[in-house]
Amino acid sequence: MSTAIIDARGWQSSFDLKTGEKVDPESDAQRIVKEVLQKHPYPGDMDKGSNRWVSDTAFELIDKYMPRFVFLSYAAQYFSLRYTPMTDEARSSIIAGAFREAERFAEVSGYTTIIVGTGDMTPLIDNIDITRLDGLALCTNWSARYAGLYEPSDKDMTLLSSHPFIEKIVPREEVVRLFNGSPDQALRVPEFLMVARRGYAFKALSPTMKTPVMIPSDNFTVPVSLPGSEISDITCIRGEIEKLISDRNIALIILEGAGINDFPLPYRSCSNGKEWFSYETGDAQYLTISTGEHRFFDYPKGYKYYDETDVNNDFPFSGYFKSIPENTFASSFPERSIAVGNKSMFMHMVTGADISIECFSRNMFNQGTMAVIHRDNK
Amino acid sequence: MYTVSDGEIRERFPHRWSACSTSVIESMPFYHVHPGSRCLTIGTAGCNFRCSYCSNAHIAKEDPELQQAKMFNIPPDELVAMAKRMNCRSIVFNVNEPAVSIPSLIELSREAEKAGIMTGCLTNGYMTEESADILASIFSFFNISLKGLSDSFNKNFIGISSSKPVLRNIKRLAKDRYIEITTPVIQGENDNELNNMAEFIAGINPSIPWHVFRLLPEDEMKDEDYPDINFIDNALTEARKKLPYIYFHNFVGSDWVNTICPACGDVVIERFSLGCGGDKLKTDHTIEGCCKSCGSEIHLLSRNLK
Repeated sequence: MSTAIIDARGWQSSFDLKTGEKVDPESDAQRIVKEVLQKHPYPGDMDKGSNRWVSDTAFELIDKYMPRFVFLSYAAQYFSLRYTPMTDEARSSIIAGAFREAERFAEVSGYTTIIVGTGDMTPLIDNIDITRLDGLALCTNWSARYAGLYEPSDKDMTLLSSHPFIEKIVPREEVVRLFNGSPDQALRVPEFLMVARRGYAFKALSPTMKTPVMIPSDNFTVPVSLPGSEISDITCIRGEIEKLISDRNIALIILEGAGINDFPLPYRSCSNGKEWFSYETGDAQYLTISTGEHRFFDYPKGYKYYDETDVNNDFPFSGYFKSIPENTFASSFPERSIAVGNKSMFMHMVTGADISIECFSRNMFNQGTMAVIHRDNK
Repeated sequence: MYTVSDGEIRERFPHRWSACSTSVIESMPFYHVHPGSRCLTIGTAGCNFRCSYCSNAHIAKEDPELQQAKMFNIPPDELVAMAKRMNCRSIVFNVNEPAVSIPSLIELSREAEKAGIMTGCLTNGYMTEESADILASIFSFFNISLKGLSDSFNKNFIGISSSKPVLRNIKRLAKDRYIEITTPVIQGENDNELNNMAEFIAGINPSIPWHVFRLLPEDEMKDEDYPDINFIDNALTEARKKLPYIYFHNFVGSDWVNTICPACGDVVIERFSLGCGGDKLKTDHTIEGCCKSCGSEIHLLSRNLK
């Protein structure tokens, strides 16, 4: 059983991650984690101390749990770039600050680091309003480039096909073929996947959200810093970890919103998708990195999220995840692993680490932190 | 929001929506309205309050004119069609104050009624008696925010001089509409009023569900401490004797989100709380709106006030 420990600022409780039923914590790992959560309240997604919180929480966990593999995600700069108008200088300074934090982690911990940028950001030029179609169009706020389309009319298709901001409209069969999907996997893929041009974002049904000033660019390549490595695809990162970890501790660090344009370290330019598809920052990109295989189908872009989240009560604290993703590196690594991140509540799902700690922020409202213990018998 | 031209009050931005999304009814929150059902959620822009802790300040406090570029422009019939397409049982206005957009909401409710879709809203209840009557004609169910009782609290945290209009309108809406009430608690500021609030609600109808929120400090209060959960739980001890349906939440993992049968004490509806508009039905144990153990009727919109 995986255990979730919630720290809602001054109030902690433990749950079965899958059922949401309350559990009484007993193990040493659970006691350790509760102490760490209490000691490190989350300052908020755009707070200046947010990335420092990632490192400091990781140091504490390393000290107490002594993992051989650490998976970190630094995301404060992504949220700031996304929502705050700023000069190029200010933008560079914010990204440089994120790198300094990653370097501080490397220096203090002594772990060999693999640093991956999730891709460049680009100014939002305009939205593509897809709310008034005869058919149904869906995407999340966090995805700019892709939207799903269901039951479009001929009129819809004529309008969308000639839309100047839409790069292409891909039928389900072509999406499934690109990623060698099974008939079961195809069921979740929208009838058509729409792809926006760089700088444009789909505007579908959504709750109130701040309007972004920058969005993820079409990053067909992303930077990966690992001196001595010759990799050329993000699916190869897992293999590099497997090779290196035999004789050293490894930290895989994901830097959100950092791409080739802003990467100050030596890096390999790695393929970040297939053919016309490039990953945006999010669960699919993280899973592709942590499993070493393309993971488009777990929660495909533009899928009918509400059909599953409204009726399925499994994993209530895990966003739209309804099962624990298989084949992540940390889930099969026989030695100890941890993960810490300040990008939403998915580290425990996408990393598979023994212990993960993440902010519990929904739509950027800071509600505290959550730790998940998948295993405590190592 | 409104403007006056040629001696007539007009809505400035009709059919412009700041939000249009789908969610479950518990996340509004409505705990006793068709549990587990899906709703289309909408909002406009602007508000007649200036709450220092507003969680939608970028919508409620900003000039609506400056927000028009990002608004959805969807006529009522299309909104209703969208709700039907997404299998929504209701349409809920839940972002800002509905009293600032009455003409659009009247049109929407007419379309929704034709399609057999219920409408509900979250409101601060601060409006004229005439406006309250109009809102009662638009919506079938309300969650009214009772933020504080004292003049000093309302002046300091809400930007109004008195809660009297709110109290009056709660009574008015409860007469012929289904209502739930929500109170965000700021520790040290309005927790001392909880018993009086409970008394006020019980005086109208003790079956009214009351959502006591742990304040999530936002906007001007962003750097304030989070209220202490155990402290507020203890502060509700007396209130729980007056009202059987008190829920204490707005934080992840709350223990106080289940509905307990007032007659036998069994859990009749179980929920998860993810805080901040993320609540969800876990299991509804009622049988045709009654406790499965003792058969007592549970106060639910689905049973009592169709």
